[in-house]
Amino acid sequence: MKRFLKISLAAVAALSLSSCGALDIQNENGLSTGMFWKSQDDINSGLNAVYGMFYRQGTWTRNIYTQLNGMADDGVSYAGWTELNEWTKFNYTNYNFAEGQTKMWREHWTAVNRANQVLDNIDNPEITYDSEEYKLDLKAQALWLRSFYYFYMVALWDNVPLILHTSSAADKPANSKNPEDQVNIVFTQIEEDLSWAAEHLPLTREKEVARPTRGAAYGLLAKVYMQHKKWDKAAECLEWIVDGEGKSLYSLQKNWADNFSNKTEDNSESLYEIQFSLCNYVGFDQTDNYLDANAQLGTQIEVNQSPKGTGWNNVEANRWVVEYFKREKTTEGKNDPRLYYTCWYAEAEADFPEFPDHLMYQKKWSDYKYSTYDNKRVFIKKYSTDAYPLYYWNDNNFRSLRLADMLLLYAECINEMEKGPTAKAVQCLDAVRTRVGLPAIASSTYYDGAKITSDYDAFKEHIKIERALELAFECVRWIDLKRWGFTEETVAEMASRDEDYTHFVLGRHERLPLPQKDCDNNPELNQNPNY
Amino acid sequence: MFKKVLTMILPLLLSVGIFAQTRVAGTVADSGGEPLAGVAVFTQVGASTVSALTDEDGNFSIEVPEGSVLTFSMMGFATRLVAASEKMNVVLDEERNVLDESVVIGYGTVKKKDLLGSVSTVREQSLQDRKSGGVIQSMQGLVSGVNITSSGQPGSNAAIKIRGIGSFTGNSPLFIVDGSYGGSELGLNVEDIESIQVLKDASSAAIYGSRAASGVVIITTKKGKAGDLKVKFDAGVQVYWLPRYDLMNAETYRQYDDMAYQNAILSGVSGVKGLQNHYDADTDWQGEMLSTAAIQNYNISLSGGSKSVNYYASVNYKDDNGALKYSGFKQVGFRVNTSGRKGIFEYGENFFFTKSWTSNLTGNPWANFIVMPPTVPVYDESNPGGFGYGNPDRANTYGLNPIAQNELYHSDNAQQYLYGDIYGKVDFIRDIFYAKLNFSYKNYFGETSTLRKKGNWTMGQGDDAAYIGYQTAKHDRILVEPTLNYAQTIRNHEISAVAGFSYDVFHEEYRGETKLDPLVVGDKYITSFNSATGTQTCTGSYVEYNLMSYFARVNYSYGDRYLVQLTARRDGTSRLPKATRWSSFGSASIGWRISKEKFFNVSWIDDLKIRANYGTLGNTNIGAWDYQATINTAPRAIMYGDEKVIGMTQSNLTNNDLVWERKTTANVGVDFSALGTRLTASAEYYYSKSSDLLLSLPVLMTTGNEGGAPTVNAGSLRNTGVEIEVGWHDTVGDFSYAVNGNISTCSNRVLDLGYSQTVYYTSLSKSEIGKPLGMWYLYKTLGIFQSSKDVKNHVNSEGKIIQPDAKPGDIIYDDYNDDGQITSEDRQIVGSPWAKLYAGLNISLGYKGLDLNISGYGRFGQMVYNGARATAADFSTNQNNFNDYAPWTVDNPSTTTPRALYGDTRNTRGDQDRWLENGSFWRFSDITLGYSIPSRILAKAKIEAVRFSVTAKNLVTFTKYSGLDPEFADSGIYTIGYDGCSFPNPRSVQFALSFTF
Repeated sequence: MKRFLKISLAAVAALSLSSCGALDIQNENGLSTGMFWKSQDDINSGLNAVYGMFYRQGTWTRNIYTQLNGMADDGVSYAGWTELNEWTKFNYTNYNFAEGQTKMWREHWTAVNRANQVLDNIDNPEITYDSEEYKLDLKAQALWLRSFYYFYMVALWDNVPLILHTSSAADKPANSKNPEDQVNIVFTQIEEDLSWAAEHLPLTREKEVARPTRGAAYGLLAKVYMQHKKWDKAAECLEWIVDGEGKSLYSLQKNWADNFSNKTEDNSESLYEIQFSLCNYVGFDQTDNYLDANAQLGTQIEVNQSPKGTGWNNVEANRWVVEYFKREKTTEGKNDPRLYYTCWYAEAEADFPEFPDHLMYQKKWSDYKYSTYDNKRVFIKKYSTDAYPLYYWNDNNFRSLRLADMLLLYAECINEMEKGPTAKAVQCLDAVRTRVGLPAIASSTYYDGAKITSDYDAFKEHIKIERALELAFECVRWIDLKRWGFTEETVAEMASRDEDYTHFVLGRHERLPLPQKDCDNNPELNQNPNY
Repeated sequence: MFKKVLTMILPLLLSVGIFAQTRVAGTVADSGGEPLAGVAVFTQVGASTVSALTDEDGNFSIEVPEGSVLTFSMMGFATRLVAASEKMNVVLDEERNVLDESVVIGYGTVKKKDLLGSVSTVREQSLQDRKSGGVIQSMQGLVSGVNITSSGQPGSNAAIKIRGIGSFTGNSPLFIVDGSYGGSELGLNVEDIESIQVLKDASSAAIYGSRAASGVVIITTKKGKAGDLKVKFDAGVQVYWLPRYDLMNAETYRQYDDMAYQNAILSGVSGVKGLQNHYDADTDWQGEMLSTAAIQNYNISLSGGSKSVNYYASVNYKDDNGALKYSGFKQVGFRVNTSGRKGIFEYGENFFFTKSWTSNLTGNPWANFIVMPPTVPVYDESNPGGFGYGNPDRANTYGLNPIAQNELYHSDNAQQYLYGDIYGKVDFIRDIFYAKLNFSYKNYFGETSTLRKKGNWTMGQGDDAAYIGYQTAKHDRILVEPTLNYAQTIRNHEISAVAGFSYDVFHEEYRGETKLDPLVVGDKYITSFNSATGTQTCTGSYVEYNLMSYFARVNYSYGDRYLVQLTARRDGTSRLPKATRWSSFGSASIGWRISKEKFFNVSWIDDLKIRANYGTLGNTNIGAWDYQATINTAPRAIMYGDEKVIGMTQSNLTNNDLVWERKTTANVGVDFSALGTRLTASAEYYYSKSSDLLLSLPVLMTTGNEGGAPTVNAGSLRNTGVEIEVGWHDTVGDFSYAVNGNISTCSNRVLDLGYSQTVYYTSLSKSEIGKPLGMWYLYKTLGIFQSSKDVKNHVNSEGKIIQPDAKPGDIIYDDYNDDGQITSEDRQIVGSPWAKLYAGLNISLGYKGLDLNISGYGRFGQMVYNGARATAADFSTNQNNFNDYAPWTVDNPSTTTPRALYGDTRNTRGDQDRWLENGSFWRFSDITLGYSIPSRILAKAKIEAVRFSVTAKNLVTFTKYSGLDPEFADSGIYTIGYDGCSFPNPRSVQFALSFTF
């Protein structure tokens, strides 16, 4: 009996001892963070993960196009999803609305946090780099990417907190009571970061063109300075692009449509393109799965803005865009070819007899048998491809920064600095016009060229029109409108073109509400005024 | 319990009036085969009693009228009634008297009368007509302080919460099946269950330490008893159906949808220029998907044994063909329990194998029944795949066609469990000191096969590829538990103790693969992976965790009057970081049986005991590696053309300083039994405080966190409540009856919140320190604007018009902060989702062989969010609505329902109090009429028992709630009262037959 007792006690003891280490179990489903950030390859992989944020519904796969183009007066949403279309009509009900709001907010912050992880670890003295130049390049890329995301967050929400270090779960970042103050804080930071990046990024990339170059840094920086109304600073960047080192790197495409085709990517007009590919074909809408190495790497810009009866038709064009284009004729007396490549509309076939192809997804407009009302609608053609049937994604690179935009910004910038258009300003404007066959502004068949080329206000007003047409549906106009400012007068004018603006309340709708969940649970985060 | 009384009384009365005398003789033994001396054997003859006693060898002899039924009675044994026959062998089971019943409390048992903790017991008899559902469902309404919520999906498990929310991470209690860890998911066969004990407080549960914070459910399965082979056959057929929404047909729908468009045009909603050119179908989506179904349940058990070995074996088959098209469930289970004894050794094993097949429903059709316009046809050849759905001109909706969804995407799931435990026991000193080694093993294998065919089920769906998918999950769990037990009574001192060690190892593997473009031959999809031609992807991961524990318990009682119990347990878990992974838990309990005191001299009270306990439990019911930060290697990016690079980053934030969640509870209770134990009652009050609550508390989106909220020790919560159980049973002539009722309250207060927050919000609720968790935090509505004058008159204190854009027929929102506009600052607390009172009632009536059982339960005082009403939302996106819909119009100026308005959500926002309703209900869940053929008749055919019953389930519910079912599966602790078009509970009629010989 006693022996038995001894044996069982010994067994219990042995079992306890042998299993003491059993409570240390390492999770090998992923690499432990303690073992990472130790080499330049780790830093580069960390940086690649920031690039990976382009391929999200809330970033450049989908939602940002609906939001920026839908809010601006050139675009409008008649999506069957009422909440989605209200969200572009200054009719915000649920501030936690995922599709138009929280997805974009969250994924922009994820991008910032990924960049911050790189920036927090890049100077780790344990890491040896192939060269100091390489390290500085990596750092400059991370700063550029972070600035890029901040730029678009400001465009959407203005009052975004500035987070410059890797997040921890308990973080409660603060913004300002007054959104304008916060915009100033964020712009000041990204101006500094982009200036540094411009110094350390190479002029060109041999292969990996997704990585920004000096031109991409100056282009983005110019946009920030323009929004910040630092005209002289913006002019320095734009001068570099137009007449400086950039002059030999960038030129306007002869064929304007090459800027929006998946067959003519990374051309000389682009300062920066977001690279899309269909190499990760998953077969279904697998976009936001952050754990799936096979998640898609394409863009949904096309299906999202596709015409009624084809894809989602979440955003489309306002009629005035067509009318404005048709005001002017080319030197050959034809309609502006940009209209043909920008919009699908019922009369296009009549307006452009010189173009043989009037198919909209393999069917003629009339084959869609639209109602009388629908026949007045205008759909967005820019960035469409010849994919058929429409798939969720296409591989068409998004031209985030292109020279035509820079030229027009430069023209606007000079006009602001000099309080009137100089020859240089007019030259920049004309470069954009003559490329598509329009006459120089001085000999315009419609506009008062003499006044435009000599008067500050007339030139400024004309730049607004020129930008609206050249850059329609390129996520530029909402940012332009913010720069030009909202007043009772301008809002009334926009309402005449886009009935969405009848809902626009000054002091509220210049920016989106912040996602309510974050405001509620962070006492440091002020909701935007009047929301 | 009352049934015992019933079976005792009824045959007795039946025998009256038969006077032909006969001599009967026989022996009486206990269940181990030992003869019993001194058993009273008697029967009533007219007004007098005839009786005898058994001798030393258990023999008796008695002269009684022919056809008499003899009563065998002895202290410590359950009284039995047996039809008199010439040579009788009667086996008496050990006492089943309520007070002397033993209650399993983990690594041992105590007599119910000596219980110091709060334990509720469910016995086999109460379960006898509840065999078609799962284990948890079968307990519904039978125990106090336990809140069970079932969802009607075939093969789904009901959710169980003991004493409310004690923890944020899974409030499901620990399941112990025959001493081993089970799981609420276990397809345990209800018929195999002998008893269920629910341990509700720290005193009882502390021996399970870290796993017991949400209570413990101990399930004991049936064991064979000494005696001849006993065969029991059970069959049940339950015919069931699901409740339906009272939705508009196409004609009514068109009328209101047109009204919504006309209002939109009048209000200038942009893009709305004309009415919809409605499809001309009239589809009843519910009719397409719902039908009456049947659950068949068959069970055969064999049991028996001898003095040294006994056995119990059973086979169970269940088939539920699903009241929703495309759903279904089948299950087969086998059980073998044996135990034996030789000399000082005792051994036993319990094996259970179950395999089930589930046909999974794709999506939740309950929301789509509402969202899908009735004008849309089920089939439409012009759409890819051939199914009807939204169209921008004809039915502008993103509703999902449930038929298409299920036809085009289907998954089947098969799961199997092998579950066994083996124990050996050595008696060092018989009945005083023994050692036991329990080894249990659980193996699970689940597989899911998926087929996605080409075709669409909603507007705007892309050209999705067809694919086949196959996922598996398997786990192994090993538990080793050696224990030493001691029990001795020395004069007035009764002492017992247990000490042991427990080691639990868990490992789980997941694999999944999909392949695009399966071969299609004609209409048939070939589901072989080899024959599919598209891209193949695979995923895999694993989970592993261990738990190591030492525990001990001592029970002491003096003179049956003063009772003490002390429990201690020390746990170490791999789920917490090294520095904090070990923690100790314990409890102390005391009891005083006043009724045994000399001064206590109230003859009508049988037993009166007061008890109190205090103790701490732990919880680490979190992910296996929540404290470890890892790098996500999945990100990819394009650098040029199709050139892809690999990105790595930390996606999921972690808190690496996690500690044990602790729950401290205090419990005071009274147990009372009187009038010959006809009246029993117990009452308790409890207070519990959970601190360092482990929770995946959502973090701010500004952190950029992805992959779920990191686990954090997020504050503390207090729960208090009162539970009262009262029972009465009696017999009046041929008629016997019993009534058992329980009521309980449970309220919680937030004491602290994570990340040093004082308040935490979700999109519908607010949790604030000092207040209950997850209060409804919504915009308050004040009625409907009847005229433009009303709009102008709705001003704040400074006279500013609050809703200048509103039109007559729009909702008036309360400008809570008085700033003259409706903003996020106007949300306010508008109700509590927590029930103020929970109640359960069981009534049993018996007359001769007939019995009627009525079980009901209810919850009162909670505010429920009616997701179905919110989904219908006044035609804002062309949803269907209910037939009682009466929107505001000029001619019919409603004061509660706004105008129908397409394309504008101003009146239909989800976060308004219009969707809240009083969710109180009382439900008679089970009404059973049964008939047991009297044993007097059966005895001649050598049949022990035959019973027929018919049960009406969920047929009678009293509630004002306008949703489908006031009892629904909630959607998490912050929105406990959110009925998001939940799967309703089925209504059914069940027929059962039970046959024992």
